[in-house]
Amino acid sequence: MHAFDYAAASTVRGALDLAGPGSAFLAGGTTLVDLMKLDVLTPDRVIDVNALPLKGIRLHDGALRIGALERMSDVAAHPVVRSVHPVISKALLLSASGQVRNMASIGGNLMQRTRCDYFRDVTSACNKRRPGSGCPALTGVNRNHAVLGTSDSCVATHASDVAVAFVALDAQVVLRSKDGDRVAPLEEFYRLPGSTPDRENVLGPGELIAEVVVPVLPWARHSTYLKIRDRQSYEFALTSVAAAVDVKRGVVQDVRLAAGGVAAKPWRLRAVEEALKGGVAIERTFAEAAESAVDGARPLAHNAFKTALLKRTIVRALLDAAGAR
Amino acid sequence: MIGRPVDRVDGRIKVTGAAPYAADTKIPGVTCGYLVTSTIGRGRLTGMDTAAALASPGVLAVYTPFNPLKLFAYVQEQNDERFPPLQDTEIRFFGQAIGFVVAETWEQARDAAGLVTATYDQQPPVTEFPGRTLQAFEEVEEVVGTQTVGDITFTASYTTPFQHHCAMEPHATVATWNGDHLTVYTVSQGALLVQRRLSETLGVDAAKIHVLSPHVGGGFGGKWGNWAQVPLACAASRALGRPVKAVLTREQVFAMAGHRPRTKQTLAMTCTEDGKLTSIVNDGVTSRGLGGNWSESVANWTLTTYASPNLRVTKTVVPLNLGAATVMRAPGEANGSFALESAMDELAAQLGVDPVELRLRNYATLVPNTGKPWSGKHLDECYRLGAEEFGWSKRPKQVRATADGDWLVGTGMATATYGASRGQASIKVRLHPDGTASVSGTAADLGTGQYTVFAILAADELGIPVTRVRPDLGDSTSPAAANAGGSNSTCTNGPAVQVAAKAVQTELITLATTNPRSPFYGKEVSYRDGSVSSGGLTMSFGTLLTTCDVGGVEAVGTSPRLVDPEHGFRSFGAHFCEVRVHRLTGEPRVTRWLSVCDAGTIVNAKAARSQIQGAVVMGIGQALLEATEVDVSARFTNANLASYLVPVHADIPRIDVRFLDHSDPVISGLGAKGIGELGIVGVAGAIANAVHHATGVRVRDLPITLDKLL
Amino acid sequence: MRVNVTVNGEQRQADDVWEGESLLFMLRERLGLPGSKNACEQGECGSCTVYLDNVPVCACLVAAGQAQDRSVRTVEGLAEGDQLDPVQEAFVEAGAVQCGFCTPGLVVQAHDLLDRVPNPSDPEIREALAGNLCRCTGYEKILDAVRLAASRR
Repeated sequence: MHAFDYAAASTVRGALDLAGPGSAFLAGGTTLVDLMKLDVLTPDRVIDVNALPLKGIRLHDGALRIGALERMSDVAAHPVVRSVHPVISKALLLSASGQVRNMASIGGNLMQRTRCDYFRDVTSACNKRRPGSGCPALTGVNRNHAVLGTSDSCVATHASDVAVAFVALDAQVVLRSKDGDRVAPLEEFYRLPGSTPDRENVLGPGELIAEVVVPVLPWARHSTYLKIRDRQSYEFALTSVAAAVDVKRGVVQDVRLAAGGVAAKPWRLRAVEEALKGGVAIERTFAEAAESAVDGARPLAHNAFKTALLKRTIVRALLDAAGAR
Repeated sequence: MIGRPVDRVDGRIKVTGAAPYAADTKIPGVTCGYLVTSTIGRGRLTGMDTAAALASPGVLAVYTPFNPLKLFAYVQEQNDERFPPLQDTEIRFFGQAIGFVVAETWEQARDAAGLVTATYDQQPPVTEFPGRTLQAFEEVEEVVGTQTVGDITFTASYTTPFQHHCAMEPHATVATWNGDHLTVYTVSQGALLVQRRLSETLGVDAAKIHVLSPHVGGGFGGKWGNWAQVPLACAASRALGRPVKAVLTREQVFAMAGHRPRTKQTLAMTCTEDGKLTSIVNDGVTSRGLGGNWSESVANWTLTTYASPNLRVTKTVVPLNLGAATVMRAPGEANGSFALESAMDELAAQLGVDPVELRLRNYATLVPNTGKPWSGKHLDECYRLGAEEFGWSKRPKQVRATADGDWLVGTGMATATYGASRGQASIKVRLHPDGTASVSGTAADLGTGQYTVFAILAADELGIPVTRVRPDLGDSTSPAAANAGGSNSTCTNGPAVQVAAKAVQTELITLATTNPRSPFYGKEVSYRDGSVSSGGLTMSFGTLLTTCDVGGVEAVGTSPRLVDPEHGFRSFGAHFCEVRVHRLTGEPRVTRWLSVCDAGTIVNAKAARSQIQGAVVMGIGQALLEATEVDVSARFTNANLASYLVPVHADIPRIDVRFLDHSDPVISGLGAKGIGELGIVGVAGAIANAVHHATGVRVRDLPITLDKLL
Repeated sequence: MRVNVTVNGEQRQADDVWEGESLLFMLRERLGLPGSKNACEQGECGSCTVYLDNVPVCACLVAAGQAQDRSVRTVEGLAEGDQLDPVQEAFVEAGAVQCGFCTPGLVVQAHDLLDRVPNPSDPEIREALAGNLCRCTGYEKILDAVRLAASRR
């Protein structure tokens, strides 16, 4: 681990004043400390933001607002979250382990880095870590990698579970800088890798995630987060689907779907949503609609199964969410 | 007392965090060593720049092949590294030790290690398996009979991936010298293994090397060998005149501290119409890491499992640019059984015979490849009891016949057997004036329960409570007992504990009758339940020693190696399991398990059950999760505990274990055979068979992941 | 830097702490508490689980500075003198300990589970302890231990 300055900030202003090129904000630390030990991240300055007033979970103006420094476990257990958007709670509880959830913040979760084993190994080339060095995952071991939204530069998946639920629910993030606040839809907060996979989001230098804002959507309580993995727990997703569905008299009125584990960012499945609307809420409809989920997929040597698995994960999640069984 | 469930004697210090493991050793002035490792898989080091590291804060020394610590060549063949580290510039595998940085603190050493750069003359590493290879060779392991062809033929190939032990404790060694005497606190499956290796490579008389390894955080074969951190910590400590502690990172453990090799088995079997095997041919292929010499005789399990007049197994070794392959829980047999137990299930289906029935029809009443009788074998009882308890008779004959909601349900079974042997062991028992007895030998407890086995057997023989026995393991100055490996610790050390505990009673009686202070002076006495008696007088040994003002009596007992060319020795068992596979997403989950074991006398029912459960769970990992991947760079890409998947709590169903508890009087008076490895053998086969029963899909390549079932 | 932290009820101070040290390193190497184990250093195994302000965390992923002015409780702080905590007692009695390297973390995590959920179901136990890898026991007896401890509370 490289040497660095450690500074604790008590106000947002103070934290932003301390920030600069080569600095990193430390919240839970479960990503940052891990990647610093591996020399994947080598900040000159680490700014501890845990004392910042970016906490609180509340309903305000038709939206659920979650402070960026709220811990994953606190958000998952919060009665308002559980009653308004249980899918958020479920996605969080299927993430990492209890110990990690107790430490990791919501803002940090959204900023977590990929679990690509080439990204995490500094002896390997990686365009995300060392732009222009190449991507060994394209031809290497790539069973866990993405099939959607990838590029010739990077095929890493985005690792967050809760971000998938957030994207399904049209969540926004409040980004705070010295110039004030701006709001971005989470789906657009993340960038696709293209030729610059090192730039993962639209966050500017000296900008912090302050809050996540999730519109209330009463029917979306009929929801699920389904995570498919080799191990029953404590593993990143091979595929995951956040699904919320409004079924009346057996017909799909409205639906929200997003997928994880398959794409370079949390992947909203709008074409599938459109195909489902007005359809009969039965397995065959779901399966037909799910076909379009993998349009444009670019399977690699070891992860071609993810296209079939994603479609089946969608069907299973819809069956769960619709209470069709 | 033998066979009852007893709390482990090291339980209390382990639940309070007080048990000392190698990395916990505190020595004043200790320095920290950190390994620098190669970032290519094959080639030659042409240079290393250590200037920046040497200038880094706290750094005391940087050793490399260009500035090495002298280590002599290893003499004896062991299942670990062929070459002592830093003695030559050849790169045989990715992650090979090429430097050792010693600094005042761990963080300083790690930071400085990151500043060392190396230049290489690089060659493409060989990682393809079975594929084109450097120097693959085939040898015939054994042939029995002349191969004949029966009426029915079955052939198939089965493969298994690289796997890693993943003992929770990473490898750690702390070395300190006092003059020309070395004390080493280290992870180890046997203190004498470390002592011998260090004596060879340091050029030091073994008598001057004191190895301490009282608590070991799991081994599974991975701590049988001595990896680079052991000689480097000792040699650096000698050179610097300071204690040195070296701990491998998890990634380094994966790269250099041994792995289970990749294998492929091609089985060809013939049988009569009523399912009697007439020939089995198993052509086995195993990888060998060029960091070591060892490889698996993966096909050999076929020689001893089912009766067949014709048997032929071969072994082809494929050398790869990897660290040493080494023994991992049931080496050869865990992989070997996957193929044969899958094939038996496939053959049963082909014949329309129940899988248990097919195994009974081919029951080996004699050792198949030698024709010798078994020392004891009750495998048929394992099958029958297991089938009855599991409800095997209700199993549908058809595949994909049962569903529970969205989950397809199937059941499968397999045979487990593992070799048994009794080596020579010496144990010392000492009786103390405070009424306790200490029992010592160089044996290791890797979590296996050996401490408690010593306590139970000594307590039983001495007739005192287990709580009054203090076992003392993992110290090279104790009498030479069995190392922890090959499932023969209890089998070998147990009888020696009994012999020593008997011998010390003779010593006590001699004291009682010859010491003038003894109330039994010159009398006829007997020993029973911790006391000496004569006429109406009974005195506990503690009181007697106190009365005689003697600090203790002791005896070393030796149980000789069993040489019995007349018998075959193995432990046996049968696994029965239920697996569920989701009809849409394909993930396989084990939902029910029963193992019935015939492993001779069970000394501690509590620890034995846990040993089998743990082995079954490692087998579930082998079957469904565990595979270390190697890419073209020859790096194990998933060398961490998040990407290399071992089972977690949530993966595991209730695991029911039954012991038949038939003592094996041929192997020893104690009658115990091994249980450490038996439990994993056959597990992957049973699961593959259950997955097939649930889905109709036969997976012959481990691990059985959902992508193979979609 | 200097870190002030309450450990097992005692106010402790660690001097000359390097910013990059983890809480686990500080506990083991500076504060003389080697009970918490270093097995992966990446938050992947749970062997280093300690309470930080009453919630269990992986001490290997906590930067030493994050522990400033906070309260830590380790496996060494669970027993009251010679009297083991019921969870520790149950681990010994149920045979939930083998090599013991995962045990300190598991005991803390199980302790927390029973504080929050006095009578957990089997699936709750399995999920709550999923972040604590054990390679020896096969988990079965660890479940027994948690059930046993729950029945005694």
